[in-house]
Amino acid sequence: MNNGKSKKRGAPAPPAKTPPQKQHATTEIEEDDMLDEDVFLDETLLHEEEELLLRDMDEREAIALRLAKWKRPTLSPAYLSQSTNILFQQLEIDYVIGESHKELLPNSSGPAAIIRIFGVTREGHSVCCNVHGFEPYFYISCPPGMGPDDISNFHRILEGRMRESNRNSNVPKFVRRIEMVQKKSIMYYQQQSLQPFLKIVVALPTMVASCRGILDRGIQIDGLGMKSFVTYESNILFALRFMIDCNIVGGNWIEVLTGKYKKTAKNLSYCQLEFDCLFSNLVSHVPEGEYSKMAPFRILSFDIECAGRKGLFPEPTHDPVIQVANLVTLQGEDQPFIRNVMTLKSCSPIVGVDVMSFDTEKEVLLAWRDLIREVDPDIIIGYNICKFDLPYLIQRAEALGIAEFPILGRVRNSRVRVKDATFSSRQYGTRESKEVTIEGRVQFDLFQAMQRDYKLSSYSLNSVSAHFLGEQKEDVHHSIISDLQNGNPETRRRLAVYCLKDAYLPQRLLDKLMYIYNYVEMARVTGVPISFLLSRGQSIKVLSQLLRKAKQRNLVIPNAKQAGSEQGTFEGATVLEARAGFYEKPIATLDFASLYPSIMMAYNLCYCTLVTPEDVRKLALPPESIHKTPSGDTFVKSNLQKGILPEILEELLAARKRAKADLKEAKDPLEKAVLDGRQLALKISANSVYGFTGATIGQLPCLEISSSVTSYGRQMIEHTKKLVEDKFTTLNGYEHNVEVIYGDTDSVMVLFGVTNVEAAMDLGREAAEYISRTFTKPIKLEFEKVYYPYLLISKKRYAGLLWTNPNKFDKMDTKGIETVRRDNCLLVKNLVTECLHKILIDRDIPSAVQYVKNTISDLLKNRMDLSLLVITKGLTKTGENYEVKAAHVELAERMRKRDAATAPNVGDRVPYVIVKAAKGAKAYERSEDPIYVLENNIPIDPQYYLENQISKPLLRIFEPILKNASKELLQGDHTRSISISTPSSGGIMKFAKKKLSCIGCKALISNSDSTICAHCKGREAELYCKTVSTVSELEKLFGRLWTQCQECQGSLHQDVLCTSRDCPIFYRRKKAQKDMAEAKIQLDRWNF
Amino acid sequence: MAVMEEEQSDIERKQSLYNSMDEEFKIQKEMYRGQQYSQIYFARLHLMRTLLYSLVPTWKPHLPVCTVLGLEGDKECVIVGTLYKHMKLKPCVLDEYSKERSVTPLVQPHNFVHSDDYLILEDESGRVKLSGTTLSPSFYVTGIVVALHGKETGAGDFLVEDVLEAGLPPQLDPPNKLGEDKYVVFVSGLNLGSSSSNPLQVQLLVDHITGHLGDEKEQNNAAQIVQVVIAGDSVEIPRELLNGQNLAPKDQSRLSEPIKEVDILLTQIAASIPLDIMPGPNDPSNFAMPQQPLHRCLFPSSASYNTFKSCTNPHSFELDGVRFLGTSGQNIHDFEKYSEGSEEVEFLERTLKWRHIAPTAPNTLGCYPFTDRDPFFVESCPHVYFAGNQNKFGTRLITGSDGQVVRLISIPRFSKTGTAVMLNMRNLECHALSFGTEFSL
Repeated sequence: MNNGKSKKRGAPAPPAKTPPQKQHATTEIEEDDMLDEDVFLDETLLHEEEELLLRDMDEREAIALRLAKWKRPTLSPAYLSQSTNILFQQLEIDYVIGESHKELLPNSSGPAAIIRIFGVTREGHSVCCNVHGFEPYFYISCPPGMGPDDISNFHRILEGRMRESNRNSNVPKFVRRIEMVQKKSIMYYQQQSLQPFLKIVVALPTMVASCRGILDRGIQIDGLGMKSFVTYESNILFALRFMIDCNIVGGNWIEVLTGKYKKTAKNLSYCQLEFDCLFSNLVSHVPEGEYSKMAPFRILSFDIECAGRKGLFPEPTHDPVIQVANLVTLQGEDQPFIRNVMTLKSCSPIVGVDVMSFDTEKEVLLAWRDLIREVDPDIIIGYNICKFDLPYLIQRAEALGIAEFPILGRVRNSRVRVKDATFSSRQYGTRESKEVTIEGRVQFDLFQAMQRDYKLSSYSLNSVSAHFLGEQKEDVHHSIISDLQNGNPETRRRLAVYCLKDAYLPQRLLDKLMYIYNYVEMARVTGVPISFLLSRGQSIKVLSQLLRKAKQRNLVIPNAKQAGSEQGTFEGATVLEARAGFYEKPIATLDFASLYPSIMMAYNLCYCTLVTPEDVRKLALPPESIHKTPSGDTFVKSNLQKGILPEILEELLAARKRAKADLKEAKDPLEKAVLDGRQLALKISANSVYGFTGATIGQLPCLEISSSVTSYGRQMIEHTKKLVEDKFTTLNGYEHNVEVIYGDTDSVMVLFGVTNVEAAMDLGREAAEYISRTFTKPIKLEFEKVYYPYLLISKKRYAGLLWTNPNKFDKMDTKGIETVRRDNCLLVKNLVTECLHKILIDRDIPSAVQYVKNTISDLLKNRMDLSLLVITKGLTKTGENYEVKAAHVELAERMRKRDAATAPNVGDRVPYVIVKAAKGAKAYERSEDPIYVLENNIPIDPQYYLENQISKPLLRIFEPILKNASKELLQGDHTRSISISTPSSGGIMKFAKKKLSCIGCKALISNSDSTICAHCKGREAELYCKTVSTVSELEKLFGRLWTQCQECQGSLHQDVLCTSRDCPIFYRRKKAQKDMAEAKIQLDRWNF
Repeated sequence: MAVMEEEQSDIERKQSLYNSMDEEFKIQKEMYRGQQYSQIYFARLHLMRTLLYSLVPTWKPHLPVCTVLGLEGDKECVIVGTLYKHMKLKPCVLDEYSKERSVTPLVQPHNFVHSDDYLILEDESGRVKLSGTTLSPSFYVTGIVVALHGKETGAGDFLVEDVLEAGLPPQLDPPNKLGEDKYVVFVSGLNLGSSSSNPLQVQLLVDHITGHLGDEKEQNNAAQIVQVVIAGDSVEIPRELLNGQNLAPKDQSRLSEPIKEVDILLTQIAASIPLDIMPGPNDPSNFAMPQQPLHRCLFPSSASYNTFKSCTNPHSFELDGVRFLGTSGQNIHDFEKYSEGSEEVEFLERTLKWRHIAPTAPNTLGCYPFTDRDPFFVESCPHVYFAGNQNKFGTRLITGSDGQVVRLISIPRFSKTGTAVMLNMRNLECHALSFGTEFSL
């Protein structure tokens, strides 16, 4: 499940230790189950800490001096004298509970929530803006007959109930006030305009939840009796509420004018500019023009190395942190301006890197803390840092008793908080994670981002960087790390170089994939803070937009029923039956552009346009103003009520169009990056709106909407098919009768019967235009591409050459065909790709068949490269915990018995091959470590690979092409010749006696000095040529493989240590070494 | 063909004292035991560094000598290390295995030099990227050990101001003044058995050098030939037959026929002149440098002569005090791919000045992973330095600052050019020996 970076052995398996300084109990976070946490400012702690730190800093003056050169630029006089406006880009917004500000809010007292906005100015100064006066609130619908007098009564009762359930709180007033406001629920079409609602303002954010609980359960009100209330907008995180009400979107620019802010009396944060202001004095800029740029954030990329004990995954209670590598880059620059590595014990210098060596682990950890404080990064990135590096550092500091370590945030008194969390989402699955809160700094774990945004066969840092950056990374096995650490300054330097590389790769990935741009743009478009994007699912983004829109229209959103998971499912998208076959004529593809968003816009589908079945009867709406969807639900048309969702979608798509147009105009590469990030974010957001309405455990599920959308989708596909088949016929004067061979969710594949691509394109365009006219706007059928030739295997499985212009094909496009699945061996992938290449591009089916036959013959004759046969699976739990016996688990157990030090641990990926064993042995008993197989000449089981690995994917491809594909490919002459290697140990070999045989005819020879028997005497030259040519080939391979490893490693003078099993040449390299030794012995037999 | 009147005047072939120095290139006890290539680099760096360190005091007397690790920003110094050339176009074995098959087939360029290439200097302590215009990346290749004068820049690069190469090795003896002309014939790339080989041409060559051709004058000339050196690629065997399968009898003979042909040829030569045969890239020999002598069982007839010697590649020997060193050309071919230069002899000159006949081994030139030595290091300067299987005949006489005199020869492929090379040991003069067959057979 969680296959982390291989160095970290994937998902770390440390026991869920109590994190240090934990202020809150372990919480479980369901998707977007939003809980506010009140964190109290503690002034007394502040003083203690400060003293501790000061004392500490004296001792550590030397290191402080070294770090000082990386400080942020100093403030200009204008800032110091507070005579200038403060304009900054915010990155993180949270809140803290403190005493209400006496000067800014003279009328209130007691604890209040203070919003903190962290950001960076254009000059690169860090900013902490304390916003006062914003209060948490939510709505309930006002019971009929309740007047202003009843409200104060109600207020009193509610206050009393709140005091009961929050006994240990010393807040003077829980419910600050209750106001009557005119609002409307977003649910269902309502004819009357606005209704009275009660806005309940409470003292602290957490009280929203407890107050909601009281109202949900019911409350006794004089004159009205026991009454329970539906609450509205009562589960919105306080920070998000604030952003919505102040029109702040994630990552935008905020300005506070001079005179409107006050410098804080006592700085509570490490930021350069810290000030107090009222929430009404914030100016939030729309991210356009000048305000679409990025401030020069400081991005820290780091990686740690731990010295684990042999055979065990590093545990913070035992194993020291030995190195920390840090790279700091300014946003927008391509090279890091700080390259630093901190090592335990001396380490030889590295060119261009600032190496800091320390004698104790405590010093290393504290130096790192100081670095964080001095460099003051805005964003912290790394690979698997959220689940490994950060928790490890903190737990390690706790184990060593370094209480002052975990002050990594921007707030002076506050320690880092760690909690266990599970994150579950329909789209991303359930995964366990650790949440480390570092106040004021955004954490961006590339590992999580990769898992979230890309489907890869492996998520190890090695394979991810090979995939995106095109370079292999040296992988040092964790059992070697301790040896390197215990060596000399040179070996530790070696380790440091490796560690630096691990810190550098996440930064390069971040740049290459433009994550900062894309995520900031996504935050701006959807209006959520950047940190939500990684830690939360899709629906919060839609909710944020929905809330913003609803607010403008005075609509309020009811609190979702959490028990809604049994609401049942609805019929999904339609798939027209696939007419499987190999089409050697162009196939035109007609696509609906953004089908689901278009449907929602075209038919005005929204919460507020849905008419309940009851109302349909009661309201007697004019038939021309309503429409019934194919799924049987009724919605009003936009002349009665324009839907909010369609409006959101319209804006998103219009914005996307604008962004795309700007993108064409843009010249500056950075501006282009921003715009491209934006249009992508807009597209994703538009598509997630539909999902939001269908998410049964989501915020506001409404299956009437989602099932209507899919039902329209189905109807449209059918409609298109019918229309195309009716129009393009020989009767209507076209050359051929058209055939629709396949249709998926939002596309229809059409065989027009013409033989050249250009003609198919013309007809495709004609059809798209003709059919689009029959649809309600903005639903539009587009013609984009032609497949030629096209191999349709079954639904959702096809391959073809894709043409967008008639001159040259663009690429080979495949879907649902085994090329990336990770539990297949490489052989399958290679075979399938090669066959498709031969069939589609070379158009040479016989050669594809021949290729398959040759491969199968090679497999049966044991000539297959072992690395092609390796199957890899992640070990997620130990043997006992698996219910069904699995090959990789069994193997891990067996390997542990052989050598516990190198055996795979939980979280590792276990590579194995299937070997020959006694008849009837189960597949899971036949798994074996590829290295062990190489070393001991264990025969692999070709039959297993033939039947369980390659036959199915092959038949799928060939069945539409060949008659009797199975017979043709999997049986026949090429399968008759088999050879099996002789194992060199175990089994019957214990009883065997080794004797030399003639190289020519394999006859046994008694005279051990000679090479060939008397009969083969005349063939010496020929036989020698054979032997020597084997040696020659192997030498060639040996040289190329081992020099490649030197290149990856980046050193000629040091031995290659890499044990990356993800590397495509790992096993080949090993095999070349062994084969070479054997071949040399064979050759030496000729030295008579 | 002229038939000699042997009784009338016996022309006696001159003789020379031959001394083989191939010991260095023989792989005897060495085995593949899991050793890697780092050790040969280490050995090379060690040998070369000792040498360069001894030169630095006279080259840059005022400058301190540093290791890569010891570099301090902005301080001028001298560092010694192995060059590594980062090449964008260099084919990568990983690509063959991991890259998705691209739609357009890869076109292998003949030369992998690109303007983005850059050099890195490495010693056992670390590596540093080199910058500056003094050092042209296209000129150098991976594996050379040099001393550099320069300083570290802020970006972590080393700005090179001056380069010191090891220079020509010392020559033990000056080329001795033989009183008489004695010739050595070099030939390479006979490629018997290939379609490009012309049997008549080859026979003419053999007859000429054995003295079966021409008039008395020519025979007198032939009698002055004291040694024949075949610098690789004597035979071309159909490699497609060597796929690990058992051969049908017909194929067995297809395989052994060209080898027999060579054997006959060699027998003719060996019967009259001492003969050295070196393995080449296409010969039935191992691949990695140093290539081991061709097995005697391949040449049952010629091998029985004591004038027949099967040698290693590289090959080093001494003849009447004249020292010869040369290869069958793989080292120079590698330069054509990974470096730039006007002609082949230029590459020969560079390698000699770098004191290393095959710097690209093991990086791009296959080589045995030596553990304690680097046999390609040139300890003392030969008088004649040659490479076989080149595109055309080329020669150059270079002289060193210490009075070294070296004749460089690029020996062309005989099958392509019909040209062999004659070298006069008396004055190290050398000329081509071309055979044309104007009429078709």
